[in-house]
Amino acid sequence: MSIDRVTSGATAIRGRPGLKLPLAVRFGMRELRGGLRGFYVFLACIALGTATIAAVNSLAYGLSDGIAAEGQSLLGGDVSFSFIHREANPDEERFLRDRGAVSVAATLRAMARMPDGNQTLVELKGVDGAYPLYGELRVSGDEPAQALLSAAGPRTPALVEATFLETTGLAVGDPFTLGRLEATVAGVVEREPDKLSGGIAFGPRVMISTDALSASGLVGTGSLVRWRYRLAGPDGPMADQALANLVADAKEAFPSAGWRIETRTEAAPGLRRSIDQFAQFLTLVGLTSLAVGGVGVANAVRAYLAGKRRAIAMFRSLGASRRTVTLLYFFQIIVLALIGVGIGLLLGAIAPPVAGVFLADLLPVSALFAIFPQALILAALYGVATAIAFAIWPLGSAYFVRPTALFRGDTDAPEKGSRWPFVVATAVAGGLLAALAIFAAYDRWLAFMYVLGAGAIFLLLRIVAVGIVAGARALPRSRRTVIRLAVANIHRRGALTPTVTLSLGLSLTLIVTLALIDANLRQTLTSRLPDAAPSFFFIDIQDREKPAFLQTLAKAAPDADVQSQPMLRGRIVAINGTSSDEWPETEASWVLRGDRGVTYAQDPPENGTVVAGAWWSSEVKRNEVSFAAELAEELGVGIGDTIRVNVLGREVEATISNLRTVEWESLSINFVMIFSPNVFAGAPHAHLATLTYADGEDTEAKELAVLGEVSGKFPTVTAVRVKDALETVNGVVSDLALAIRAAASVTLFASILVLAGTLAASHRSRIYDAVILKTLGARRRTLILAYGLEYALLGLCAAIFGLIAGSAAAYVVAVQLMELSFVFVPAVALGAVVIAVGVTVGLGLIGTWRALGEEPARVLRSI
Amino acid sequence: MADQKTIEAHDVWLALGSGASAVSILRGAGLTLENGQSAAVVGPSGSGKSTFLMVLGGLERPDKGSVKIAGTDITTLSQDDLTAFRGRSMGIVFQSFHLIPTMTALENVAVPLELAGAADAFDRAAAELNAVGLSGRHRHYPAQLSGGEQQRVAIARALAPRPALLLADEPTGNLDEKTGQDIADLIFDSTARRQQSLVLVTHDLSLASRCDRVLTVADGQLSQLNAEAAA
Repeated sequence: MSIDRVTSGATAIRGRPGLKLPLAVRFGMRELRGGLRGFYVFLACIALGTATIAAVNSLAYGLSDGIAAEGQSLLGGDVSFSFIHREANPDEERFLRDRGAVSVAATLRAMARMPDGNQTLVELKGVDGAYPLYGELRVSGDEPAQALLSAAGPRTPALVEATFLETTGLAVGDPFTLGRLEATVAGVVEREPDKLSGGIAFGPRVMISTDALSASGLVGTGSLVRWRYRLAGPDGPMADQALANLVADAKEAFPSAGWRIETRTEAAPGLRRSIDQFAQFLTLVGLTSLAVGGVGVANAVRAYLAGKRRAIAMFRSLGASRRTVTLLYFFQIIVLALIGVGIGLLLGAIAPPVAGVFLADLLPVSALFAIFPQALILAALYGVATAIAFAIWPLGSAYFVRPTALFRGDTDAPEKGSRWPFVVATAVAGGLLAALAIFAAYDRWLAFMYVLGAGAIFLLLRIVAVGIVAGARALPRSRRTVIRLAVANIHRRGALTPTVTLSLGLSLTLIVTLALIDANLRQTLTSRLPDAAPSFFFIDIQDREKPAFLQTLAKAAPDADVQSQPMLRGRIVAINGTSSDEWPETEASWVLRGDRGVTYAQDPPENGTVVAGAWWSSEVKRNEVSFAAELAEELGVGIGDTIRVNVLGREVEATISNLRTVEWESLSINFVMIFSPNVFAGAPHAHLATLTYADGEDTEAKELAVLGEVSGKFPTVTAVRVKDALETVNGVVSDLALAIRAAASVTLFASILVLAGTLAASHRSRIYDAVILKTLGARRRTLILAYGLEYALLGLCAAIFGLIAGSAAAYVVAVQLMELSFVFVPAVALGAVVIAVGVTVGLGLIGTWRALGEEPARVLRSI
Repeated sequence: MADQKTIEAHDVWLALGSGASAVSILRGAGLTLENGQSAAVVGPSGSGKSTFLMVLGGLERPDKGSVKIAGTDITTLSQDDLTAFRGRSMGIVFQSFHLIPTMTALENVAVPLELAGAADAFDRAAAELNAVGLSGRHRHYPAQLSGGEQQRVAIARALAPRPALLLADEPTGNLDEKTGQDIADLIFDSTARRQQSLVLVTHDLSLASRCDRVLTVADGQLSQLNAEAAA
């Protein structure tokens, strides 16, 4: 009598397989009463992957919502009109003031000089009395910020960031100089609402009133000052329609203003883009931990079902159909997957508020203290799909268990039958998982490539495993027992080779990838300055003071090379008549997004070579421009194309007459565009100068002396010390690297878990073999050596694979995603492999070693 | 040394478990067996027959007492030395065969020879398999063999290194009467032909009666069973 019929209580249900599910569910529940032992790796794998994806996506949603919610305060108004070099002219200003409340702010880099003669680069901001239109400018103490800024006194009050006090040693009330302004520290800024609308800060913020800024002498012709006019509605926030109308009117009224218009909905576009890209990267990390975890799931299911063979055979011998048995265990896997997903979602859901606490001073976190259902649903789908995709194939082993397994031990040959249903089901589940990964991705092409790459690695590892088994089988029989045992263990039936190769190969690929990315990142961060890098950039040198300035430099640093160039800021508004907004998106689109430094020159620069076209003659009449060759190619422009730029509110068009190479990494004066001198004839502008010492000199003392000399005599010239600037940039990049390492460590943890799980799953049969061999005369040393050699041989094969695949993956991530230059660091890669193989052999032997120490009789009794 | 004794076990004590749950299994058990002699150990389940056999095989260390096999006191050997000694001097046949499921019959039999470093391990293993009537089954895995065939492989494996002593723990316990009879014949014929000593643990008194001596375990001690009872 069949169990199906007995339990379901009717012969009528025969032929209605759908009704078997409840029976399988009941049996499944009974089996699960035994607890979750043997499933901890399964649960951890699913929970880790789900948690990573849930957390990353929740954070991304939360930060995007935060930007949207705080858009007005991030932007400083409902809409912002910004100019480089110049203030709004009276017509433009009238237009803006007629349409709402206006706040004006100007930002620039300047030198602050201390009473002791030291100086430091600061990010100076001048604000008017209406600042901020939205959000709060919070300062320490009880007095409002605006009251502090407008306080009368012999010195100009300045609000500073706490880091300004840390680097200068000043305290509130102390005097310092800004340009020609005698200033005093009036208070410490705790929160600046629109801080994120600026770029990377090369120094601490110092804030003064716009009136004081005008008197500082820092704002001269062509000075690198960004003026921002922020607007709010006359009676509060503007309606969307009113905002749209205002922008349209502004564009119509002043088509050549050259201003950049940003509205509250597109506040902090750079930050938004960064968040999206980072979320994309972290989602890949999450997917990797799920893919690695999937192997853990498959191993766990395989090991669990191997232990259940007798129970399955018992069910079969009592009349349960293969379908019932398979559904029974499928049900258990779903239950376990849901538990793992639940744990993962819980961890993922609490990540945003936790991150919110830590990121409060850095990012718009107001929306992080919430639950993000879309993110959680997506993560849950990933978790369940992974569990199913990786569990179906091993589940097939339950389907084919014969009742005779009860009598024939663990290796009774499986029942004959087609495995196609399992192949198809695995393919469907895997396909759904891949489709989910691709369609939910920010960059679908990247996700598609990732899925292809991951699939290829799985396939290749399978091929490698088959190759290892075939190779071991073909080896001549060694005369040494240890080698013979080890080699036989690799190729014999039920060998660990396929599972260990897959788990270890994946882990090693991952470890090598991470180690190489890390090494390359570190190399980028700690790389020395290029040999010919200048020590200083001096900006905002006014035309009239240029000769005196260069003379001073020549005197202060007679052994250094000084170069100077006219410096303007301009924005490309059109290419060949097509607005830059509508120009196709390419890798070089950043050139079109913001203001670029531009210059003009009669002669080609010394550090560039013309690679196409010809440089203009001294009698050039038409407007010509030389464009950086690589960027021109990426943008899709060439000789004869026209570029329209807006400089100082004036639009000029020039024809590309030549393309030239640019060595950006030399850190010398480099420009994307160099115009022919006639283009800017008579235009007011400032100059940029560099000071470079000969190679290999320790110039620390000389640099400080030059800085003191120059900033004393030319207080309105800003000196950017390249070493300090690079340190600032490196600081930002190393924060990014830290975040990447932290995220990647999740994946690494998953891979170690899987590896440990794989070895633990084989532990039982290993101990059985070991004890029988010991009974037959195998010494503990022989067995340990044989097992160690087996793990080491497998490890070596997996290591070779890991080295190749990991290096390729690291190259793609470093070069394509992170835009780093890639250097293969053999010591790092080999070190990672040696450690990983050591861990594998160690993990593999720990359990066996312990079991071998016991009396064989005790182990035999428990088998 | 013709007069040497294969087994000299004296005053063997062993308790399993620890603390309050410790059960004293052997309480002063002893056995002496001459070269080439066979002995059967009978007794009710749980009396300690198999445990005594495991002590003889060095698979279990006694809490007290001495066990000499072929003149060597195995209770004083280190684990590794004991293992090597067992590989050389003893063969063990279990009731549930304990073959390695992932190895073929030939590989299973060759294992102890390989461990002993025999260059001709596989040739000798093949000969042993042929001797137990499994010439056509060399490449079969345990699961592809019947119970009787699996036990033949186990016997071939135990005898392959030509040990001085064969220990058999209910070797016919899992087999039908006819197969059990065949296996018993194989064990007795082989050990007799090779002048090996044999200790057999069994519930089957008729099988026990084929041994030179029949011993029973009671209260943790071994005693000679009288001939009538054994018959």
